[in-house]
Amino acid sequence: MIALSAIRTRPTSYVSGLLIAIIAIAAVFAPLIAPTDPYALATVSILDGRLAPGGEMLDGTIAWLGTDGAGRDVLSAILYGLRTSLTVAISSAAIALTIGLIVGLTAAFYGGRLDTILMRVVDIQLSFPAILVALVLLALLGKGIDKVIIALAIVQWALYARTVRAAAMVERRKEYFEAVTCLELSNTRIIWRHLLPNSVSSLIVLATLQTAHSISIEATLSFLGVGVPITEPSLGSLIANGFDYILSGAYWITFFPGAMLLATVAAINIFGDQLREIINPRLAK
Amino acid sequence: MFAFVLRRGMQSVVVLFVMSLIVFSMINLVGDPVDMLVNPESLPDEIERVRRDFGLDQPVYVQYWKFLTGALSGDLGNSFVFGRPALTLMAERFPATLELAICALIIAVTIGLPLGVYAGLRPDGLGARFIMGLSVLGISIPTFWLGLMMIIVFSVILGWLPVSGRGETAVFLGIESSMFTLDGLKHLAMPATNLALFKIAMVMRLARAGTNEVMAQDFIRFARAKGLSSRRIVRAHLMPNILIPIVTVVGIEFGTLIAFATVTESIFAWPGLGKLVIDAIVNLDRPIVVAYLLFVVALFLVLNLVVDIIYAVLDPRVRLQGDEE
Repeated sequence: MIALSAIRTRPTSYVSGLLIAIIAIAAVFAPLIAPTDPYALATVSILDGRLAPGGEMLDGTIAWLGTDGAGRDVLSAILYGLRTSLTVAISSAAIALTIGLIVGLTAAFYGGRLDTILMRVVDIQLSFPAILVALVLLALLGKGIDKVIIALAIVQWALYARTVRAAAMVERRKEYFEAVTCLELSNTRIIWRHLLPNSVSSLIVLATLQTAHSISIEATLSFLGVGVPITEPSLGSLIANGFDYILSGAYWITFFPGAMLLATVAAINIFGDQLREIINPRLAK
Repeated sequence: MFAFVLRRGMQSVVVLFVMSLIVFSMINLVGDPVDMLVNPESLPDEIERVRRDFGLDQPVYVQYWKFLTGALSGDLGNSFVFGRPALTLMAERFPATLELAICALIIAVTIGLPLGVYAGLRPDGLGARFIMGLSVLGISIPTFWLGLMMIIVFSVILGWLPVSGRGETAVFLGIESSMFTLDGLKHLAMPATNLALFKIAMVMRLARAGTNEVMAQDFIRFARAKGLSSRRIVRAHLMPNILIPIVTVVGIEFGTLIAFATVTESIFAWPGLGKLVIDAIVNLDRPIVVAYLLFVVALFLVLNLVVDIIYAVLDPRVRLQGDEE
């Protein structure tokens, strides 16, 4: 509740939050908002190909952001692409968060050898850049949306695990935790009912920033041709698609999907930064 | 110290071995490289012959054993596509990637450092706020997309810079590089700047944070009281103190630059390691993928070890694991 009223009084967080909400709504209701269905083969005509922004398509619809090489409306393609991008980012974040929570809490609660081994694995994984790990995983797993989600989840879990563990270690030293241990509750109950709720708040900011990061990684992978399949293009695949046309001057096919990607990632990043300052005001100065 | 290096060295060998095992067994589950190599109209017995020639008809553990014994004598197998040793191919491509990464690093430091120090000296000024806003943008902006936009602006519209390739190279002091010819520099400009962008934002943030911290210290106040000019304070008292952490972080990040080069190289058709491996992934050229992975893992293990040792040397309070006993 405190956080909510803090958001209202900070214009930057308000604006970025609003932008995220608009983008999310546009993605969810893409089929209703989009002027055309970019993947309905019956209505897409090659004769509409490479129309400049504002051009009129054969059926009379105005292509505000132009059309791509195959005659698809760029605006509609972006709205549909946004859905794929967000689906991948959010589901991979959810999976990574779950794994990270389980590993982090287990390590903090049991400590000792188990903790050492788990954290060593986390350290080793975090010493490699995310994009590289994702690239490697996709080389090993093959193509497909599910594969991209798995790869991104594996890329992110270690960061969550480390953060949760650090928060849980702090909780363990508090008095209530001593009291709970004295009550002889089962380990699972202590972990899930006491350790989890108290450690989870540290993850809110991380999860926000990580979502932006994974949208970016997914786009990069799809651009390289190892990400989501061409049948369900994300913003990254749309940019890759436009890559073939930039030398002929048809900039809009790559420009607009990229601008959308930038707006999404920047809005989430700024919102995450604001959230961090609200939750931990000492960092602001 | 010796115990630490020995222990980490052994740990690295184990990590490399486990990685090779995982990579090798998993990569054999993806696709069939023979499909990519033969003409789709080939006869079945011809396909079988290709499969036998590459040893792909044998069970995975036999293939792995062959690979492992080869690897121990420095042979990581032949590329399916090029028919030449994977290590040789990588060694040929590596200088181009190294050159790109080094140029990117130089650009990142020369641009990021002054901007960051400026923002740190006047944290509430308009310029500082603008710079920090730019750094948020720099972190959010998709690098590959910016690369494409650079091509549109500098190659398509203005026609100043070439779109792809490495250009002319020249040999200077025994090193062959594009840095020594005008044509090469033109080819290098866009990819290197593109690769540097992410790091510029990082160097900027580090420099700003360092400046903030150091300027609040007593010795700076003393230098001011002595009547030194701001210029001299920045040069003689601020810089040496913020440079150590920046150099360390930039050193660690060098590995990341090599990893990120895969993206930049694909955009600008830069004939480096990254392009080689992306093509190999798409073509299911397994030996190259495996060799690249092991190379990168080894590179990062070494970089991390070196950084840990440097930390311990620079700051005696840091105790290395394995030294305690």
